Amino acid sequence: MRRRRLLGLLAAAPAIARSAAAQDADWNKVVDAAKKEGKVSIYTATVGSPFHKKVFDAFESKYGIKVDRLEARASEIRERVRVEQAAGRFLGDIHHNGSTTTWLMTRDGNFQPHGTLPNYKNIDTTYEPDDTKIPAEVISYCVLVNKNLVKANDEPKSWKDLLDPKWTGKILSDDYRALGGGAVFFPVMLKAFGREFHEKLAQQKPVFSRDIQNSERRCARGEFPIYIPFSLQDYNNLKGLPVKPVVPAEGRPYVRFDLAMLKNAPHPNAARVFMNFYLEPESQLVFGNAGYAPVVKGVVEKTLPEIRDLLATKPMGTTDPPKQDEMLALAKEIYK
Amino acid sequence: MTVAVPLDHREGAFVRGLSRYGRPLSIGLLVLALGFLTVYPLAMLLYGSIHSTPPGMAGEFNAAGYRALLAPDNLQALANTALISLVKTGLSLSLAILMAWIIARTDTPGRGVLEILITLPFFIPPILTATAWAMLGNKQVGTINLAWRWITGGDGTLIDVYSYGGIVWHMMQYSTPFIFLFVVDAFRAMDPSLEEASRMSGATRWQTFWRVTFALMLPVTTSAFILSFIRGMEAFESAVFFGTPVNIKVLTTQIFDLITQRAQPDYQAATAMGFASLVLMGVLLVLQGRLLRGRSFTTVTGKAYAPTVARLGPWRWLTFAICVGFFVLTVALPVGQLLLSSFFQFFGFYQLDMLTLDHYRSVWGNDEFWRAFGNTMLLGFVGATATMILGGIIAYISTRTTWPGRKLIDVLAWLPWMMPGMVLGIGFLWGFATLPHWMPIYGSLWALLLAYMALGTPVAVRVTSGAYAQIARDIEECSRVHGANWGQTMLRILVALAWPAFAVGWVLIFFGIMRELSASILLYVPDTQVMSVVMLKMWNGGKPEDVSVVGLIMLALVLLFRWVQLRFIKQRISTL
Repeated sequence: MRRRRLLGLLAAAPAIARSAAAQDADWNKVVDAAKKEGKVSIYTATVGSPFHKKVFDAFESKYGIKVDRLEARASEIRERVRVEQAAGRFLGDIHHNGSTTTWLMTRDGNFQPHGTLPNYKNIDTTYEPDDTKIPAEVISYCVLVNKNLVKANDEPKSWKDLLDPKWTGKILSDDYRALGGGAVFFPVMLKAFGREFHEKLAQQKPVFSRDIQNSERRCARGEFPIYIPFSLQDYNNLKGLPVKPVVPAEGRPYVRFDLAMLKNAPHPNAARVFMNFYLEPESQLVFGNAGYAPVVKGVVEKTLPEIRDLLATKPMGTTDPPKQDEMLALAKEIYK
Repeated sequence: MTVAVPLDHREGAFVRGLSRYGRPLSIGLLVLALGFLTVYPLAMLLYGSIHSTPPGMAGEFNAAGYRALLAPDNLQALANTALISLVKTGLSLSLAILMAWIIARTDTPGRGVLEILITLPFFIPPILTATAWAMLGNKQVGTINLAWRWITGGDGTLIDVYSYGGIVWHMMQYSTPFIFLFVVDAFRAMDPSLEEASRMSGATRWQTFWRVTFALMLPVTTSAFILSFIRGMEAFESAVFFGTPVNIKVLTTQIFDLITQRAQPDYQAATAMGFASLVLMGVLLVLQGRLLRGRSFTTVTGKAYAPTVARLGPWRWLTFAICVGFFVLTVALPVGQLLLSSFFQFFGFYQLDMLTLDHYRSVWGNDEFWRAFGNTMLLGFVGATATMILGGIIAYISTRTTWPGRKLIDVLAWLPWMMPGMVLGIGFLWGFATLPHWMPIYGSLWALLLAYMALGTPVAVRVTSGAYAQIARDIEECSRVHGANWGQTMLRILVALAWPAFAVGWVLIFFGIMRELSASILLYVPDTQVMSVVMLKMWNGGKPEDVSVVGLIMLALVLLFRWVQLRFIKQRISTL
């Protein structure tokens, strides 16, 4: 039995080897075509991120293909793509945006299939790709505390510790009634702890703000001891300030960012090579060290020690795009 | 004695044709140009407001967008917006007029320098002053409150900037210098014989001020009031910073929500809100027209004059203190904060071990920033110049001719100002992207230039209209009688006399272009990046200190420009 299986394998080996070689050859053709195209244009909703710039620059160095970045906020990117495509102007190759916006744009037919990519095999099974999108990186949310105002044993160990009366009026928060971290926090907590959690949190009178950068600094300056939900990758901007990120026991709510190829992309081969490059462990390590959760296997273990412990915590859940508007409406109802 | 020179017969038919068709042709061209700049994007928005989906998507026509305006939330927001804007414009106008009078018509010491300093706040990006005031006035650990607690020994709160008051105060940082810039030159360009006549007829100083000086300035002050009130209705940063945390909603935050804070953006309701506010502003304009109708505001005549400077005696130190006080509160405090923060690792953390030049190095070495700086300078110079020329022509036609169609041109020129910036930005995106592909506008610097011109024309027209209203017709007629053609009269008489207004308008538009974000972010492509977009990237990328450095660079530019501008004025009007 075993011998037959072994013989079968030996017989199949050349076929498998030829198929792998053929795939490599196919991919090399794509890479050559990409280099001839010479340019790839990415519409990204990550505005001003030095880590993304690092990965884009690494791609340029490796392949000699120029990366043109159009950065704008999620809804601006979406409207530009929609209008351009409606007007028959196909200028962008790749779309990089949060999962909700990507889901909506898939539904609206703004993307085209990107074909198989060799680095599919690297992807962590938590984040499934499909025909038109691949996972890019993941933003994790936790709690930011001011070290001077919050002693170590007072730090929230569970998300439910936020309901403790000692934090009444002292929580600065991203708005749950608006898109962004707050809109991820709200449904994840709702699912984990029920509506009661939010009703009690509303009684804590959290102060809502939409300016995330400033909110983090306000916490650092001691205006508020706690800021939620804190995007872990923003910790890079706060090193040296008296703040620290805390991931409660239940884990970190997260949101996925996706890459998708835009319909009628002018440089489709360059786009495919770019998407593949994004899934290289080296690229993902840049994001990992910055505090994004990598989407590729075996990268968290290689990240810097101070970030590894925070990333190695449980992913707690994410948004459900079809239910987004319903969640926003519920948040408006509970947090008047 | 010279007489008007008749047309040379050799030029014959062409010139005769031009002189007969020249006028309707120029009006036609102007209407076309203005129509493209203003009506076209607004038409796209109007479509968006009555159609269930934006242009390019299948949908149906309905009034859902306008019905949504009646929701209690939106009505409350509208009421808040109008109230906040009214209060801040009223306060700013009073303060600006007081300071304009002090600078232009009294012997307060240091007027030249004070004039420049007073106008500085207008040129600082609002996000920076908002951050500075948030640090100064938050009720927990704001610097002002900490100082108050130290003085009184208690733990009370003197000011809480997260309130209606905070929103109004922050908006005043911009509207006071804005209005000041409008009115100060009007105060300067005033023939004192009218005031002297008033005093000689027995009026007190107070009566003279109100019934002569102030009354003559009505075109300028009402224009400034309306421009500023409208701007106040459209203010965004102040409300989002200081209002949202305490649940104060205004028009622009509602529109912002509709566009960016839904999984499915509601452009229909957003554009409908934009039009509702446009109609409201239109009503205001009609009221202004009624107020000014039939009255003459001529103060600059062919006679030589020097405006009287009131001698205040010891009171001039009080006026000096008022101006210095304004400067300290609105400039020294926040700019001091910016300056300080640019040398420390983190905004607001003044520890010696955090002193650094990193932010200056970071901006200096940021290629993307310098490319954007180059784009912005080019767009600013060309845009401001082109807009002032266009505005000057429109203002001339609408205020100094009786040509048919001049009212239409005036209205068209107002329209972009009355539509909130973020809605108008979408209008430009929809408009330019759907143009035929052979027109090289979308995706090029032209898109940005045209958008900026549309946005700046209202200021250009208002500023020059106000100045023209003060210039007597007899000067123009004198020029024509002496043989100058229309162009020469325009340039060597009107523009020369209205030069201060042109210079002020140019500077306002130039810096408006530098700060414009709503349209820029929707129209830029990687090659045409502008400063405001790069500053947004710096801010979002966690580098507010780099933004402070850029803010300081902009301030240095302002000081340079204003110095140049005032030197030109001194050469032309020797009364300072």
